Amino acid sequence: MPPQKIEIFKSLEDWAENNILVHLKPVEKCWQPQDFLPDPSSEGFHEEIKELRERSKEIPDDYYVCLVGDMITEEALPTYQTMLNTLDGVRDETGASLTSWAIWTRAWTAEENRHGDLLNKYLYLSGRVDMKQIEKTIQYLIGSGMDPRTENSPYLGFIYTSFQERATFISHGNTARLAKEHGDLKLAQICGIIASDEKRHETAYTKIVEKLFEIDPDGTVLAFADMMKKKISMPAHLMYDGQDDNLFEHFSAVAQRLGVYTAKDYADILEFLVNRWKVGELTGLSGEGKRAQDFVCTLASRIRRLEERAQGRAKQAPRMPFSWIYGREVQL
Amino acid sequence: MAAVSATSIRWKDFECEVGFYGHIKENLTLLEAKPETVEKVCEIVKKQLALKDEIVLTPDSKFSALGADSLDTVEIVMGLEEEFGITVEEDNSQNITTIQEAADLIEKLVQQKAEA
Repeated sequence: MPPQKIEIFKSLEDWAENNILVHLKPVEKCWQPQDFLPDPSSEGFHEEIKELRERSKEIPDDYYVCLVGDMITEEALPTYQTMLNTLDGVRDETGASLTSWAIWTRAWTAEENRHGDLLNKYLYLSGRVDMKQIEKTIQYLIGSGMDPRTENSPYLGFIYTSFQERATFISHGNTARLAKEHGDLKLAQICGIIASDEKRHETAYTKIVEKLFEIDPDGTVLAFADMMKKKISMPAHLMYDGQDDNLFEHFSAVAQRLGVYTAKDYADILEFLVNRWKVGELTGLSGEGKRAQDFVCTLASRIRRLEERAQGRAKQAPRMPFSWIYGREVQL
Repeated sequence: MAAVSATSIRWKDFECEVGFYGHIKENLTLLEAKPETVEKVCEIVKKQLALKDEIVLTPDSKFSALGADSLDTVEIVMGLEEEFGITVEEDNSQNITTIQEAADLIEKLVQQKAEA
């Protein structure tokens, strides 16, 4: 990124302190995983575990495939903190830098860390899933990392995270809803509290990009089009469990079928962001900027049309075993 | 309008194919599509990629070279399906990279449809 663009982020430090850091929750006010899990120090611990496992028994395997996939994604958090620190102008240079951006990144990471911890403990206690296979998958995934093609650009990076936070908000919201349908209100609460964090993070990231549109509309709309052309790849797309070479594809198919996260959601998120950032109303754009604006504003409907066509000719998908559930099969 | 099925007889490096109108077409390449089909494909591609009228497309024009991304390519295939009343399978649409390839596949599918 050219130096003058990097300068933009230096000049936004105060703005970020007053407008972005405010979306962090003070640690003393934050929920912790223990708030949603049986308390090992209490007399009723064993009884609570028993109840948890009784509720989990009622939840089908395909739901667990989705929940596990989400948990694995959350547990690959080191990759995401790394990714944020690849971005020019906002990276944490020392690991304890006091720039607003660095403070945000560390605090964001700390908040996210609770998500993987909570889901991990819940899944462990449920007895419904093969923890070793899941743990293996996590180890592989952190080892693989992720390249969302943000190329050190905070423009691309924050557009990507805006999209992703909304995607996780939607996804955890759906697993919460489904958990409730299956009669597990505690699990629904767990997924719901995670979703509410994601919403708060989405608000922060979209605000950053909104500011970028204000300061540099041409550069930002070009970045938005660039990210969408590259397609927003899912953070866990390189997931591998030692057995299934197409694990992510299979997991996504189940998430699509269950309505946890679908192609329609992808189009909806895009449309949401286009409206949130008022991309259609931008003026004073260069020729290239106008083309980017046009591309981004019409993309959601193109994707929906494609998805309609795909649904229309969708053949019956096979059943696939998942090592996460001891090799049992679920319908893709 | 009868469509004569194309049969190919191969001897070593020589292919002899029976063309649509029953003529024997001696060709060192596979059966090629009618000019009208190629023309129609060009029209659809130009529209999808918003190319200026002055731009001349040749049968060998590659979609990617014309600025098509993967989304454009799928939409071009969709446009061709609508225009010719055919259905292109996923695996086939991956192989369409030029105007000629699109036209050839269309003719094949139109013919299959007529025979069905």
